[in-house]
Amino acid sequence: MADTEGCADREAGPSGGLALRVSGLTVRSPRGRVLLSLPSLELPGGTLLGVRGPSGAGKSTLLHALAGLSAVAEGTVRWGDTDLSRLDAEGRARFRADQIGMIFQDFLLFDELSAQDNAALPALFRPRAERAGLRARAAARLVGLGLSDTARSVASYSGGERQRVAIARALAAGAPVLLADEPTASLDRAAADRLIADLTGMARAAGTTLVAVSHDERLIARMDRVLTLADGAPVTGAQAA
Amino acid sequence: MIALWDSLPVLAQDIAVTLALLLPGVLLGAGVLRGFAPWPLVRAILWRFRGPSVLFVLLIALSVGMGIGLLAQERGLRQGTAQAADKFDLIVAAPGSELTAMFAAVFLQPSDMGLLSGDTYSAIAAHPSVTLAAPLAFGDSFGAASIVGTTADFVRHLSDERIEGRLWRTAEEAVVGALVPLEIGGRFAPSHGTGDAAEPDGHDGHESAVVGRMAPTGTPWDRAILVPVEAVWEVHGLANGHAPERAGQIGPPFDAAYFPGTPAVVLRAASLGASYGLRSEFTRDGETMAFFPGSVLAGLYRVMGDVRQAMSLMALVTQGLVAASVLLGLFILSRLFRRQIALLRALGAPRRFVFAVIWSFSAVLLLAGAAGGLLTGLGAAQLLSAAVTSRTGVAVAAGLGWTEIQFIAAFVSAGLALSLLPAALVLRQPVIEGLRA
Ligand SMILES: Nc1ncnc2c1ncn2[C@@H]1O[C@H](COP(=O)(O)OP(=O)(O)O)[C@@H](O)[C@H]1O
Ligand SMILES: [Mg+2]
Repeated sequence: MADTEGCADREAGPSGGLALRVSGLTVRSPRGRVLLSLPSLELPGGTLLGVRGPSGAGKSTLLHALAGLSAVAEGTVRWGDTDLSRLDAEGRARFRADQIGMIFQDFLLFDELSAQDNAALPALFRPRAERAGLRARAAARLVGLGLSDTARSVASYSGGERQRVAIARALAAGAPVLLADEPTASLDRAAADRLIADLTGMARAAGTTLVAVSHDERLIARMDRVLTLADGAPVTGAQAA
Repeated sequence: MIALWDSLPVLAQDIAVTLALLLPGVLLGAGVLRGFAPWPLVRAILWRFRGPSVLFVLLIALSVGMGIGLLAQERGLRQGTAQAADKFDLIVAAPGSELTAMFAAVFLQPSDMGLLSGDTYSAIAAHPSVTLAAPLAFGDSFGAASIVGTTADFVRHLSDERIEGRLWRTAEEAVVGALVPLEIGGRFAPSHGTGDAAEPDGHDGHESAVVGRMAPTGTPWDRAILVPVEAVWEVHGLANGHAPERAGQIGPPFDAAYFPGTPAVVLRAASLGASYGLRSEFTRDGETMAFFPGSVLAGLYRVMGDVRQAMSLMALVTQGLVAASVLLGLFILSRLFRRQIALLRALGAPRRFVFAVIWSFSAVLLLAGAAGGLLTGLGAAQLLSAAVTSRTGVAVAAGLGWTEIQFIAAFVSAGLALSLLPAALVLRQPVIEGLRA
């Protein structure tokens, strides 16, 4: 199967999230250098995809392209019925707000805000009618992730707690797609294990499509499929092994 | 339209102008913030950059305060001086500078002036439409207080008859201004000359007793000691204004032959029309000049008005420079914040939201700075007024006027509009680089 080249099939997840169809994707640096070239990638909705590869392989570049953040990209990235390449920057932002949750290696929280406010951050720019619902879901996610005392500023939180706030934020909007860039890299082993369990557990429970970039074999092992990148291109199964 | 505008009360006009100046800022804010609730983020950014934020607010407050302070002070000075000249309808003096004569008679800052003769004085005093003709005599002092010789009628007029104690009956009695540090019943010996040039023993042996005190007038006369004009003349060894057979008389009529001369006569007329008549009548080449202190002050204000415009322009330029440096600072600050801004974009925040956050940040600094500037300006004006009052005795009340409010309204609107710039610049930063940073 040409379009799953580089992906090691594991087990198909429950379908609730958006399906992904990437074809002929080429991402260039502002100066024109090719950072990532991905001829084809197809995921059924609800799939958990692990992305691994050496540093500089283009993993983050892939996530940015999947989120519609790349400035210079050719080819198509289609989530469900939406072709990101046909949307302008504002349209892609709206799509992200509605459909995509993102998690970063260093959490990217506002230290000055409480866990509750961080998790409900998108409420600040969502239509007024959605704000209360979003806050309620964020609060529920925080509780679901075992965080209490969420009115406290996140400055005092541990790394594991911060990343759980970031997950709550990514899930609060009820997005059917979750993109995670090395979510355990800043955590100690115990916190990383807990996070892996939370992340994959929640994604599976909600049927979310999850693309997680990670060096962490324990996280990769929990994924349905794995894509290995090297030098901005997928590596075939044989090479990856 | 113009007729309608002119028919409005002044207060309504002032309010309308203020609102019109504020309107662009308000509309801008409403447009930028529509549909968003950026305050928690703005608060977070303010708190994270509290050091630079406070610095910016102080900078804006200082520059706005300078503008406000100058405007308020200038107006206070105008009102104070106009109020001080209020009791001086018409002044007749020997030909020379009206300004010099006004400073001497109204503000008690005498300089060498020619004298009006006894005949001239008698002609003035005898004029049918003159109701008060008070000669003035300067030259002596007690401590910081100038001693001014005049008539009892003038003291009554100056104080609106609000006198504690009584008026003088002899040449050895005096009435003091409200701020003179002498008690009723106290005695003082005049020094010849005023200020540093005063000679304490200039008039040996001569002493006067304080018999009354004027209520405060808010004029330099509050710091003066008023004595019968005869006393000043006598102390200087001159004739005392009366023939020897009536040597004990105090006050008018004066005898032209024994009248030593006066630098200025303060006149009151029965009516405004009569005042104008007197002015033209006593404006005589080579003999006398007559002028309204109010018009001399108005001329002075015109000159001051030009200076004020130059100062306002300078204040505006300063404000522009401060605003520009603050905006530049904001832009640099927002570079430090670009990961969070990139995060907002990654979370799907519309560009307009990020724009609103940065703009609100500068708006808060501007508004806080403008409010601080209002207080700073009023404080500065108050200090300046106190200094002017203590130096000249002119009561200067530098309060908040519509000019200042409008100045601030214009500053706020212009600042809010200028803040669009750094906010727009921030949006040009690429999202991915912000995320990688
Ligand atoms: N804005 C950029 N301009 C030029 N090169 C970039 C830019 N961003 C990333 N790169 C390069 O693209 C390659 C892939 O980067 P990245 O996707 O971050 O790798 P990974 O996440 O796999 O470590 C690297 O060689 C990196 O140096
Ligand atoms: Mg990376």
